[in-house]
Amino acid sequence: MKYVKWTLIAVIALIVGGFLHYTLPQHDIVRVVNTYQERQDLSDWTRIFWSQPDDQSGTLVNRDVQFISTIQTNGKPMVYRNEDTGWRWPPYFKFDTASLQTEADDLKSSSEAPKWAVITHYGWRNELLSIFPNAVGIKPVAGPDVTIIPWVNIILLTLLLVIVLTIRAMLRQFKERSIDPVLEDVSEAWDEVEERADAAGDRARGTWGRFTGWLGTWKGKPRG
Amino acid sequence: MIGFLRLAIFGVLGAAVAYWALLIYTRSTTRERLEKDWARAHPGEDDSPARDAYIEAGLAGYERSLRRKVLWLVLVLPAVVVGVLIYLVNYA
Repeated sequence: MKYVKWTLIAVIALIVGGFLHYTLPQHDIVRVVNTYQERQDLSDWTRIFWSQPDDQSGTLVNRDVQFISTIQTNGKPMVYRNEDTGWRWPPYFKFDTASLQTEADDLKSSSEAPKWAVITHYGWRNELLSIFPNAVGIKPVAGPDVTIIPWVNIILLTLLLVIVLTIRAMLRQFKERSIDPVLEDVSEAWDEVEERADAAGDRARGTWGRFTGWLGTWKGKPRG
Repeated sequence: MIGFLRLAIFGVLGAAVAYWALLIYTRSTTRERLEKDWARAHPGEDDSPARDAYIEAGLAGYERSLRRKVLWLVLVLPAVVVGVLIYLVNYA
């Protein structure tokens, strides 16, 4: 039972943690080397990792997606997709895909004369599934080792904690004020029922009961 | 457009549920505080009309308080946050 409980807790933590890791914004310092547009097939289950920039794109089996290819500070490549999130989840309200592509084009640089930029993105890169993080913003920075404080994540995670604690406090208050008094009433009522049943049992035993009880005393049983 | 309507409708519904839950919760904590104040000031008198009047007056005071009015922010702030986000992500 203990293992079941801990497995369940681990699975829930993994799902919640994975969801937050996918959805919350992250910053990468990169050098843009190219931008391109490529037709993507969207008809299998990995569809969930692509955006739905407008309502009609929900029914399309393929469409063009813009990409930003970059080199990270450790020299490894990272490719971002550049798609509107529109009014949908995750709530980035990104509508400026074309402008972002232009900004990325403007920051293209070679390894000889690198121009570093910080890309804000959400999502995961996975080569096996062919999924890409979605770039949300790009901004030139002075060098490859600037520090970025993730203010948005600090605020959002604090807010999430406050919401969870508030809901917990609400449930406790509700239990204390609305459920416990009812349970007390029920348990009082139940005690009364039991008492009455005992009394009725005593009455129902009658003459025969008293006789067998008296017989029992010969065998050393208490009369009761 | 449909996307915006869907967000607006579910957003308003979510905010309304949050507002309603917070309203019930803060009323409940206020009532509990009033009950405890009364019990401290008048030990043993926990079933008198004066106690009911005291609690009713306290709750009426709460309805006029700033704390009660600040709850409206639960309905207003999400829309403001969405507006600020749209500006920051697309125009800043």
